[in-house]
Amino acid sequence: MGKSVIIIKDVTKVYQMGKESIRAVNGISLRIRQGEVCCLLGKSGSGKSTLLNLIAGLEKPTSGQIIFNKKHIERMNEDQLASFRQKYVGFVFQSYNLLPTLTALENVTLPLIFKGVPVKERNERAMEMLKAVGLEERAHHKPSEMSGGQQQRVSIARAFINQPQVVFADEPTGNLDTKTTYEMMDLITGLAKEYHQTLVIVTHDLELSEYADRIVMLMDGKIEKIEERIPSEGGMVKNEEKTTV
Amino acid sequence: MSTRDLILMAVRNLWKRKLRTFLTVLGVVIGTTSIVVMVSIGIGMNESFQKQVEEWGSLQVIDVYSSSGYYYSDDSSQKGPKKEVLLDAAAVEQFRQMEYVEAVSPVIRESMMIVCGKYVNSASFVGIDPAAMEALGYKVEEGRTLTAEDKEGIVVGRAVLNQMYNPKLNWQMQMEAGTPEIDVFNDKVMLTYDWSYGSRYADKSIKPIKTQVLGIMPDGGNNSYSVVMPIKQMEKIQKDKQAWEKKQGYSNSSSQQKKKEYQQVSVKVNDLNKVQEVQQQIKDMGFQASSLTDQLEAMKETTKMLRMVLGAIGAVSLIVAAIGITNTMVMAIYERTREIGIMKVIGASLRDIKLLFLTEAAFIGFAGGVVGILTSFLMSLVVNAVATGQGSDMKSSIPIWLYLAAVAFATVIGVLSGYLPAKRAMKLSALTAIKTE
Repeated sequence: MGKSVIIIKDVTKVYQMGKESIRAVNGISLRIRQGEVCCLLGKSGSGKSTLLNLIAGLEKPTSGQIIFNKKHIERMNEDQLASFRQKYVGFVFQSYNLLPTLTALENVTLPLIFKGVPVKERNERAMEMLKAVGLEERAHHKPSEMSGGQQQRVSIARAFINQPQVVFADEPTGNLDTKTTYEMMDLITGLAKEYHQTLVIVTHDLELSEYADRIVMLMDGKIEKIEERIPSEGGMVKNEEKTTV
Repeated sequence: MSTRDLILMAVRNLWKRKLRTFLTVLGVVIGTTSIVVMVSIGIGMNESFQKQVEEWGSLQVIDVYSSSGYYYSDDSSQKGPKKEVLLDAAAVEQFRQMEYVEAVSPVIRESMMIVCGKYVNSASFVGIDPAAMEALGYKVEEGRTLTAEDKEGIVVGRAVLNQMYNPKLNWQMQMEAGTPEIDVFNDKVMLTYDWSYGSRYADKSIKPIKTQVLGIMPDGGNNSYSVVMPIKQMEKIQKDKQAWEKKQGYSNSSSQQKKKEYQQVSVKVNDLNKVQEVQQQIKDMGFQASSLTDQLEAMKETTKMLRMVLGAIGAVSLIVAAIGITNTMVMAIYERTREIGIMKVIGASLRDIKLLFLTEAAFIGFAGGVVGILTSFLMSLVVNAVATGQGSDMKSSIPIWLYLAAVAFATVIGVLSGYLPAKRAMKLSALTAIKTE
């Protein structure tokens, strides 16, 4: 089933809201395997987004360990996290998070700009990426001149341009209509499979989990159950693991 | 992130908020202009002092006196046990070997009469090394200065010629005669130490010495009442005079030098800024030394306070401009919180974020500095035009270094003003920033 790229060990995240402390993530352990499409499924408040933020190093866990390629994310400082994200991680957000003043092409090249890739090379690569998401003729448009689906395509192109080991997608289709949602999911999983990249999708939408190799269901900050799926066969089958890793 | 991308992105961000950028830059322009113009007035003041002092003689010449001879009471550095040093040929050679020294000449002074046709006049005769004449700051308006080849020949001050008189006439007739018509270059010219030459009291035993006028020094300066000649010629005349005085029986000790010592030696320094340094070295050797830079320094010292106040007034407006930059950058962070978050999430390092904000702030400073020196240039013209129009000798003068320093300073101010906002942008949590709407 491939080796684990991310190992999560007994992670908790506690938020202090006034006098109350809320356990958004409450002792989760999980392994995410190289090349799989893993879906974190859960209702609002289940802790799925918090878990994603913890894995991606956007937040620090209150306790527990998150090991990415044998490196402890929770021990990294801001600088190390920045270079970790630059090297290994791509993001797709619900609200696209494109820079409004930059064109599609420029938005896609942004990660390469921070990486210090020369202009010519990065423009070529960005153009290729835009072609892959079917937006080459919109390359010089600003986000405001594009539809939601198109904007999300740009952000997908941006997430994949640096060939990251893992792509995180937080409710990637939350703002899109049903038809576009399927297009987007086809695109995103297609790209991930093509380059043998790991994809972690956070969603509350059960239908999206159709695309996943493995569904991790979350409830109240805990893993409720994990379903292994083989998407090509369609059906929902195989062994149901318990939370132990 | 490459420097090129950083600059492009910074310029782009500034361009996006044209009006605000313009207003912030305007603040820096005003700050830079006020500081440059204020400083330029201070510099103009010093320059006019220097010009004034230079009219009295060369600023680069140090006059050295023997410590045993003349005595300057205001010279505090001469306190304590005095070394007995001689201002002789060896000392001259010693001066010549010093760093920054361009020319050295002993100076012998003697009051004598100059004779041209039927006219005479007394003058202060100065004997110097002819090769050093030009270096020592003597200027001619007609003819030429002495050169190394000149064994004899004189260079006369204009005032000496203009005030020549006919000793045969009485006082009243001399007054009425006005400026004599003399062609010194062609007429026969003689020197004599007989003060009564030409009158009926003239001493026939003193033979006037024939010589030739090589040049005329202009009116106005210190030298217009002087006559300059090669030192060898002067020494010869002095010897004659002493022999004559001895024969007459009224030789006094002062003209009979016990040791072979010069009264004065002039030292030309090749760099104006090293004059004080060389002067101090000479003093340390045990001689008395003075130069016109002493006077200049004293004049500059008296206006130092005024110049500092002028600079401070300019500095205040630049401080206000700096606060403006900080304000603009802080505003930009609020506005661009989300953008900063996105950049962080997709791999911008803390350094990138910090540099981006610093670069933007530096650009505001730089642009303000560049435009500021242009307006300073115009303001300086205006100040000079107005001052000249009102007959004031106030002057604004902007040297090249001030232009460059102003741009550099404004840029540094920009970077400093941007530092706090940049730090703040850097510290923004990526997650909170990205959630900001």
